[in-house]
Amino acid sequence: MHSVIDIAGLTKRYAGNFALKNVDLIVPVGVTGLLGPNGSGKSTFIKAVLGLVRVDTGSGIVLGGDWPKQVKSIRDKIGYLPEDDCYILGLQGIESVQMMAKLSGLPSTEALRRAHEVLDFCDIGQERYRNVETYSTGMRQKLKFAQALVHDPQLIILDEPTTGLDPTQREEFLDRIHALAHRFEKSILLSTHILHDVQQVCDHVIILVRGQVRLSESLANMQRPTQSGLQIRVVRDAGRLAASLRRRGLMVECSGDTELRVQGESASIAKTIWAASMDESVLIERMDEARNSLEHSFLEIVSEKNYANS
Amino acid sequence: MPILDIGYRKWSGNRSPEWLRWAVVATTGISLVWRGTWLKRFLLFASFPAIVTMFGVGLFEQSTRDETYRRMFNGFLASRNEPLGPRDRMNRVRNREPIISESADIATQRHQAWSYMLLWYFRYPQALWIVVVIGLVAPRLISYDLRSHGYLLYLSRPLSPKSYVFGKACVLFFLLAMITTFPAIAVYSFGLLLSNDPGAFFQTWDIPFRILLATAVLVLPTSAVALAFSSMTQESRFAAFGWFAVWIVGWVTYLVLTGSAMFNADDALKLHQRWLLISPYHVLGHLQEEIFGVLPDGQHQVGPWILCGAVTVVGFGIARWRVARMLKV
Repeated sequence: MHSVIDIAGLTKRYAGNFALKNVDLIVPVGVTGLLGPNGSGKSTFIKAVLGLVRVDTGSGIVLGGDWPKQVKSIRDKIGYLPEDDCYILGLQGIESVQMMAKLSGLPSTEALRRAHEVLDFCDIGQERYRNVETYSTGMRQKLKFAQALVHDPQLIILDEPTTGLDPTQREEFLDRIHALAHRFEKSILLSTHILHDVQQVCDHVIILVRGQVRLSESLANMQRPTQSGLQIRVVRDAGRLAASLRRRGLMVECSGDTELRVQGESASIAKTIWAASMDESVLIERMDEARNSLEHSFLEIVSEKNYANS
Repeated sequence: MPILDIGYRKWSGNRSPEWLRWAVVATTGISLVWRGTWLKRFLLFASFPAIVTMFGVGLFEQSTRDETYRRMFNGFLASRNEPLGPRDRMNRVRNREPIISESADIATQRHQAWSYMLLWYFRYPQALWIVVVIGLVAPRLISYDLRSHGYLLYLSRPLSPKSYVFGKACVLFFLLAMITTFPAIAVYSFGLLLSNDPGAFFQTWDIPFRILLATAVLVLPTSAVALAFSSMTQESRFAAFGWFAVWIVGWVTYLVLTGSAMFNADDALKLHQRWLLISPYHVLGHLQEEIFGVLPDGQHQVGPWILCGAVTVVGFGIARWRVARMLKV
């Protein structure tokens, strides 16, 4: 598998406590979600990749460069959107994006042209001429995104990028991530707590718990259920339909008044479901191949009881 | 809504070398501080002493041709053969004693005169302006970035904490050069232009180098201390307080400790040498006298040089350490 980050034996300690413990991690090309509870080492991992913190042990290849020896050159190929609210006091939006481009080595005029271009892409209009300290949280997130993109990096690391965005802005943001990954072949490492975002844009998921990698898997594999079946959403009376299906010998799990999951070979059980729906006069709104819920998998992986002895 | 939204586009082109990226920190810092109205006013006021110094240089050049001017000028300069400290020089001026050696030729006198005038320029008005301008600008250079986490933006690019601090220091170097180096070089050039003697340049060729060295001695330790204060807090007013406190406390303590021997020249000299290191102002003044070659014989001290170097290294070291430390999660 072609990878953008391939690091082995990464260990980082703070005052004797392991923030990362002998982490071997491969981040493939595409959009990768980096998940984990608070304090699991996500931010430390990102800062270690960027060379912002000095690691105790570990080596590898990042974007074809020898990591951590060539970390400064590697940074030129990475766009980083930090979790922290960070800006340069006194600069206008356009100036701060231009400055970031210049820091990545773009000539001054080219940096200004490019800054305007990415600010358009990030949907920042005339606000670009305002000082950044007057920006709302959502605007600052967009500005940080523009700063991360301005030098056209190969890898974009986004640390909690959708925090503070309203639902519309969030959808637009995720669309941009999708476009960058699929139309412009950017690799994206998305660190977030919002599983919906991961489900929407990621191809691959990495879960860190207590400084160790618990899971590194493609999202498709992760969501594939252990038993096949169908996920059904009805307008109402899911319980009545479930009872009817049970009488017809099917295994049914009902959640709420509108959702149920039926186990079995989809092709064979579909006819029975339609028949039961007609008999009970329950309107089916949607029927999909059953998948594991990412939330369920995440909770299972990070739960203490499963890894109490690790 | 952009007039022509072309969406995201890939970019390829030549990038500037990594080792030059600190210049972006410096130019951004300069462009930010340059927006301050008060700074521009202070820089304007700080240029006035250069005009006074130019007038003095002009007066000296006139005195080389005109006896009337020569008599007027006599009271201001000390001979290299008569080593005098600042207090002795002042006494001579008060007593209207001729303190240029009558035996010295015009070339030696010119060198002495220009050196004394430039020393006066560095030692008195510009030292004060440096304290004021650094106090106005430096406290926010790093502390603002610490408060707004701006350092993360800088350091996520090919920039080390060391080059970040160097870039910030360059903001101060630039401003201080505007207050000291450029006007002093202008004064020197003005002197060359006014001089009737075609050999004036060869008599004074070392003065520009002395100006550069005096600037370095002023700028390096002061910038280091100011940036160290700025890096230690997220509140620029605390950094400003620390900066002014160092100067005022040092100055007052020095005056108190040496003041008891005001009327006894021998004791004054001993006490001056003993307590010199307490006051940053007097340490820098001592070094400038040595650089401009007007330090009386026998008063050379290694202590101020060592102190100056140590303060520079420790100050920049603290600033670098604090910035690197902020990166810990």
